[in-house]
Amino acid sequence: MKLVVVSAGLSVPSSTRLLGDRLAAAAAERTGAEVQVVELRELAVEIAHNLTNGFPGPQLGGALDAVKAADGLIVVTPVFSASYSGLFKSFFDVMDEDALAGKPVLIAATAGTARHSLVLEHALRPLFAYLKAVVVPTAVFAASEDWGADGLADRIERAAGELAMLMAGPGRSAGPRESAPEAKVTSGDFEFVPFEQQLSALRGE
Amino acid sequence: MQFGIFSVGDVTPDPTTGRTPTERERIKAMVAIAQKAEEVGLDVFATGEHHNPPFVPSSPTTMLGWIAARTERLILSTATTLITTNDPVKIAEDYAMLQHLADGRVDLMMGRGNTGPVYPWFGQDIRQGINLAIENYAMLRRLWTEDVVDWEGKFRTPLQGFTSTPRPLDGVPPFVWHGSIRSPEIAEQAAYYGDGFFHNNIFWPSDHTKRMVEFYRTRYAHYGHGTPEQAIVGLGGQVFMRRNSQDAVREFRPYFDVAPVYGHGPSLEEFTAQTPLTVGTPEQVIEKTLSFRDYAGDYQRQLFLVDHAGLPLKTVLEQIDMLGEEVVPVLREEFAKGRPADVPEAPTHAARVAAAQQAGSDEQAGSEQTESGRSAEEEVRTA
Repeated sequence: MKLVVVSAGLSVPSSTRLLGDRLAAAAAERTGAEVQVVELRELAVEIAHNLTNGFPGPQLGGALDAVKAADGLIVVTPVFSASYSGLFKSFFDVMDEDALAGKPVLIAATAGTARHSLVLEHALRPLFAYLKAVVVPTAVFAASEDWGADGLADRIERAAGELAMLMAGPGRSAGPRESAPEAKVTSGDFEFVPFEQQLSALRGE
Repeated sequence: MQFGIFSVGDVTPDPTTGRTPTERERIKAMVAIAQKAEEVGLDVFATGEHHNPPFVPSSPTTMLGWIAARTERLILSTATTLITTNDPVKIAEDYAMLQHLADGRVDLMMGRGNTGPVYPWFGQDIRQGINLAIENYAMLRRLWTEDVVDWEGKFRTPLQGFTSTPRPLDGVPPFVWHGSIRSPEIAEQAAYYGDGFFHNNIFWPSDHTKRMVEFYRTRYAHYGHGTPEQAIVGLGGQVFMRRNSQDAVREFRPYFDVAPVYGHGPSLEEFTAQTPLTVGTPEQVIEKTLSFRDYAGDYQRQLFLVDHAGLPLKTVLEQIDMLGEEVVPVLREEFAKGRPADVPEAPTHAARVAAAQQAGSDEQAGSEQTESGRSAEEEVRTA
């Protein structure tokens, strides 16, 4: 089982990365999943090039493949200008639109003040709903003051438990795509509708 | 194997002089490039089709007809013909006409264009892009292979007892390639009909090209046209050459850095590492092009883009001289080495006429074979 953490923290060390690591450790403890961390800071230039050129460079391509293949995902962003960071959004902008379909995702964010905590509900949750991910009910927000206060550890444990349950749950293997109206088949890396079916669909059958 | 030039037909300012060619200059440059391609012994010239500035080639058969009259051997092709927004009746007639005038030196590459707004300009709906490509092409095949066509479909008025004129030369329509960058649907369509598949790889890393070509080859075999290795594959590639590789880089960099298709993104070095772009010596171009076979298999057509990024015509013609004199002769020799005997040659009109005659005599002998593609056309016909 594979668990991927996407961290959009920019400083080193970063509290965003720290929150991602805490969440990953709690989830891995429950699932035994192998954890891989994708640091978007290291991919910033390749992400920009992908936006202008249309294809990912080698490092970014590897990160996108890892996210696509993951059984579960933890995504963590700092709050910039009352929302997720531009780098965080750009990473998901260059991803195939179906890459997250049906995938369990834990959303988390960090900020200097607790006044931003609803960013998780008004920005991240709709984004991942659009991407057809299954977002766990508990989203984890950590303001600077939370690192020294009660409560954060409990929220991390609860969210990680919810993620672990979804990663192991029956909903995963069923997959949302099998209920698609067109019966797709796979060859190599491609999922596609065979040509006979495309022709008959055009005839309105 | 065939080697040639393809041109997008963009009007791009020369960044070293700030000068933008006029439309007339650019159109005349394109036909000069085609004539140069024949002069130096290349096999193919293909023009883009675009209907918006800064591109000039909106009327491919007008241009190709002009070139046909001034060349003897060059195969005239497109890259690409918009199967989505052109009326299939018009494509059938225009290219059959061109076939007669060019004595069969014609084939086409079908594509869906690079801009969404082109659909309404021709009365079509972009949401139907793939469906238009499917229905229009199924109709085009019938117009070329059947003398009298009754037809009804979703996207245009029905035809009753219609004969497109002139009929294809020698009763054999132009060979068709299907061009695509990232749509497996189009590779699937090419495989289904046993047509050629051209992967326009110029902005893509080799592993993507490898996956697309492998997919097409697998599906070509699935539909019973031959082994995967016998599928008909074409690839692009873009080059800039000088005797000395540092001179090539120095001269091309100012063009690369601001070109609409290259500039303001990855560096020239990153781009050449990740895509087919080669900026260097003829030997480097030979080496890079030969490496395409490592991931695409033995293939049939290699087209080079040389009139990119606003380079002046004189420079472009020098590039074609080098291709014809130094690069392509070596490529012909090297690609022929180790090429299995059952990998087909690139399609030509003469070969297709001979094959059709052979098939005709086989049919008379009562050994008719039904291709899966054939039966599906029947299905469309009854729609």
